[in-house]
Amino acid sequence: MTEQAELFDSMCQAVLDGDEATAAELAQRALDGGVSPLQAIDAGYVKGIREAGELWEEGEFFLPELVTAAQAMKAAMDVLQPALGGADAGKPVGKVVIGTVQGDIHDIGKTLVGTLLSANGFEVRDEGADVPVEQFVAAATEMGADLVCASALLTTTMTVQRALVEALGEAGLDCRVMVGGAPVTAGWAEEIGAAGFADSAVGAVERARRLMDAP
Amino acid sequence: MRREDLAPLLASRILLLDGGMGSLLIADGLTAGQAPEWWVLEHPDRIFRAHRAYAEAGADVIHAVTFGANGPKLEAVGLSDRGDEVNRRAVELAREAAGDDTWIAGDLGPTGKFFPPMGDASEERLEEAYRHQVGVLSEAGVDLISIETMYDVREAIAAVRAAREADLPVLASMTFERRRRGFFTLVGDRVGPSLRALGEAGADAVGFNCSVESEPMVDLVREAAAEVPLPLVAQPNAGQPRATADGVVYDADAPTFVADLIRMVEAGARIVGGCCGTEPSFILAARNALDSLDAA
Repeated sequence: MTEQAELFDSMCQAVLDGDEATAAELAQRALDGGVSPLQAIDAGYVKGIREAGELWEEGEFFLPELVTAAQAMKAAMDVLQPALGGADAGKPVGKVVIGTVQGDIHDIGKTLVGTLLSANGFEVRDEGADVPVEQFVAAATEMGADLVCASALLTTTMTVQRALVEALGEAGLDCRVMVGGAPVTAGWAEEIGAAGFADSAVGAVERARRLMDAP
Repeated sequence: MRREDLAPLLASRILLLDGGMGSLLIADGLTAGQAPEWWVLEHPDRIFRAHRAYAEAGADVIHAVTFGANGPKLEAVGLSDRGDEVNRRAVELAREAAGDDTWIAGDLGPTGKFFPPMGDASEERLEEAYRHQVGVLSEAGVDLISIETMYDVREAIAAVRAAREADLPVLASMTFERRRRGFFTLVGDRVGPSLRALGEAGADAVGFNCSVESEPMVDLVREAAAEVPLPLVAQPNAGQPRATADGVVYDADAPTFVADLIRMVEAGARIVGGCCGTEPSFILAARNALDSLDAA
């Protein structure tokens, strides 16, 4: 194995171990050694966060492991981001506003999706929980968002997702809506005119990528 | 009920808890943005009606609407300064609706706070929040404490320790999901060690509610029966919630639910009831099934 391949493997492992210090240190070592930051992100850290997501799906990782993996990823990104020069180099895959709808204070699923999107190169603006429809619209306008992701964990609050789709349409924004949350199904997404639905955090990233690729 | 009364009671019979409250309140007009705890203050008649329906269906225990009435949760729904009032009023409503022959449980749910690395909760702070709520519930005259829907054993232990300070029976239910290597909570807690730890912290009966439908909960009860030396609680959902054009539906019917509940009793559960999506008709069917079990 080449030295660089070994470095990428260590980066991947640091993410899986949730080891912030090592992740940041390896990022610095890459920069000092003239390794392309983009390559380090792609072949090292993103690979790690994807594997962490897969381990979560498989039931090997739980919330603490997934959160520490994302934190390690972020620690590395904080080192690498400033080195990403050039117009296209630092350009996000897409811009996302994410939040849990008004009346619903469930935070976990939404935060997880936001973290994974961010780790996968999206620029994410997390509006938190209990977010009024108007706040989603304002944030999406301000950011020029490509996607708006709305989570609802309660059977009483999922109807707000419908109101959100309507409000974004009325505001004439060119962004697409993804919905998620325990009671939400593909049928519901279709019913309310949302562009995307996912029943897991990893699925949400895949779906968001596909929506960005679609015309 | 005193704490020492529970064991002899469970030795002689199965205790039937009530079923879900959310779906009844939604049918009665609860909408987005409203916490059931607000309805304790604003629509006591509707809460009363739901309790009465469960009491008439034959539930032995009615849960007061205090699941979200702990400090951190109340703050999140804007009820911080009326927390004690909500807890007291919720117990009164349950008592008025169910009468003196039905036991009233003070319900403790999760605070919504997470321990590191997900959040900044500490055992001490959560226990303190629960201790306050238990004090109010106990003064308001609940007969037992029922802890529900816990997904982190550390938070569940904090609730049990707080509940233990009242001389009341304490039931503690957690919520597990089936993963590839077995049942786990969201944060990775396993069934046997978690429930045993709750027993060591002072719970009198331990078990499960929510998350899984009734069929997988039979497996959960079997697993716990082999590993946990305490009476077991089982409160499954009526299937899984599904969103449709007409609102949310749960896909299991009362006969399926009750058949599974009886299998849980056969597997060792001594305290059974329903969680999300269950209605008084489910509890009535369970009452009839349990009575014919006794008669047989």
